[in-house]
Amino acid sequence: MNTFAVNYGNLFSITIPETILEVVSLLVLVVDLGFLRKSTQPARMTAACVLGVIGSVLAGLWLLTHSGTASFAGDALVLNSLVAAAQIGILLLTALVLLLSFQAEFSRNPGEYVAIVLLATTGMMLVAAARDLLVIFVALELLSLSLYVLAAFAKSSALSSEAALKYYLFGGMSAALMLFGFSYLYGLTGTTNLNGIAVSLASQGLSPLVVVAMVLVAAGLGFKVAAVPFHLWAPDTYQGAPAPVAALIASGSKVASFAVLVAVTGSLIPAASASRGATWIVLLVWMAGASILLGNLAALAQTSVRRLLAYSAIAHAGYMLLGIAANTPQSGAAVFYYALTYALTTVGAFGVIAVVERNMGSDRFDAFAGLSRRNPLLAASMLIFLLSLAGIPPLVGFWAKFNLFAAVLRAPGVGAWGLGMVIFALAASAVSLYYYLQVLKRVYVVPAMTDEPMAVSALEQLVLLVIALLVALLGIFPSALSGWIPLG
Amino acid sequence: MIPASWYLILSAVLFSLGVIGFLIKRSLITVFMSIELMLNAVNLSFVTFAHQWHSVKGQIFVFFVMMVAAAEAAVGLAIIIAIFRARATLNVDQVDLMKL
Repeated sequence: MNTFAVNYGNLFSITIPETILEVVSLLVLVVDLGFLRKSTQPARMTAACVLGVIGSVLAGLWLLTHSGTASFAGDALVLNSLVAAAQIGILLLTALVLLLSFQAEFSRNPGEYVAIVLLATTGMMLVAAARDLLVIFVALELLSLSLYVLAAFAKSSALSSEAALKYYLFGGMSAALMLFGFSYLYGLTGTTNLNGIAVSLASQGLSPLVVVAMVLVAAGLGFKVAAVPFHLWAPDTYQGAPAPVAALIASGSKVASFAVLVAVTGSLIPAASASRGATWIVLLVWMAGASILLGNLAALAQTSVRRLLAYSAIAHAGYMLLGIAANTPQSGAAVFYYALTYALTTVGAFGVIAVVERNMGSDRFDAFAGLSRRNPLLAASMLIFLLSLAGIPPLVGFWAKFNLFAAVLRAPGVGAWGLGMVIFALAASAVSLYYYLQVLKRVYVVPAMTDEPMAVSALEQLVLLVIALLVALLGIFPSALSGWIPLG
Repeated sequence: MIPASWYLILSAVLFSLGVIGFLIKRSLITVFMSIELMLNAVNLSFVTFAHQWHSVKGQIFVFFVMMVAAAEAAVGLAIIIAIFRARATLNVDQVDLMKL
């Protein structure tokens, strides 16, 4: 098992999209620092973002045109249709975040901003493809370290550095916990490969060390998806980080983390031993239940829209953890569908927040008052995003929840917790409608303090409308996405 | 010959000290050092298991952990400097602009 020929040509052909992103991120730095130093700030930001978008689109086109399955070094990195779909989704989200960054004024170093966004994207793509503890760790750290830097990018803002500090401290702690868990998994099985770990764990009994390892790994991955009780960073980071960065943390990073969580779950629940599977499932179900409860209740008390989205993100992570605990191919695909559509909607919502913040200097509820009169298109986009997050048909958020809960109920062996948790989650999502409507009440009912139109660039307006249309159309024609993701 | 379990116990003790330091220390720099201590405890555990299994994978893992810890230190110190510039304090209790 430890001897396999490492084929570097094979590695290169699997990671061409990542290589494209790395090359473009270096190119952005060269262009920005080498040729554009004398240019105005907006011109530099535009050039850097355009290059970044081109890089993401090129990488995405490569993935679209070179489908197939491949693996490197005994499945350390794999490429199959689901991984490719996750990577294309991540690239799309990055491109959207960059398109919404054109007007951002938080940084005087646009080249570095775009370069680090592309590095973070590389990390996300590797995380989604990794099937070896070492690769998972290195890819997760590439992603995390890039996001810490990005969260602190607004150097003049005390909020931004505080957001980065909290993200960094909790992130460093949970990375160490996860690594300690990895070291025990390696010690118990003698391999770092997820398939090898699954085989080896299936042949030994449930020792206390296995349980310790599982709890530690759950802590590390629970941090990445912001599940209770590892969620404390989320509200502060969402509130303090620059808006496009918060969008990236809430979207692409979540998709990648759920992809790796599905892979790890497949390896820690071997079919042979019910009791060990039960330990990991019990952990996931408890985290899911606590996230759904705390996320939805805490969101009720918020007056900042960003914090509200953060707590709702915790609740959404709880729903997705239920799907992961069910552990069937269908529920894995449903989680992926949910993560992708949720991320798309969240990027849109953060886009609207960024516009409102630029005009009003705040993301409080009051800042959204009378948005429907000040900019009807923006208000309509926000309506679509928030209703989709609440799971109202015919928007895509409804199908995501429907597929997910159906997959959980259909999974064999979910037993009593399956039905109970789904009923609980449905009740909780009814509660969630209340706080989403609180925002929409400000947007549509409460009168504006001024009637002057909300200034928004044509590009932002266009991108937000496209996202809103996608959210609506994918909901009206659900088969468009489910043909791509094998929901079964 | 010292048995492997002693190394593992030492590693667990070091890791626990790191967790405790992370939770009770109030200076950012000390909190930061506690994270480094946890990572080094992990390294000890990996090396011990690599010795037990007679496999080089655990030792390679340690090199990657050290590399990532160095990168993490660079990013962490940069963030601490940003905090100090904005707040002129390194006490975690006073970094509290955002609350529930």
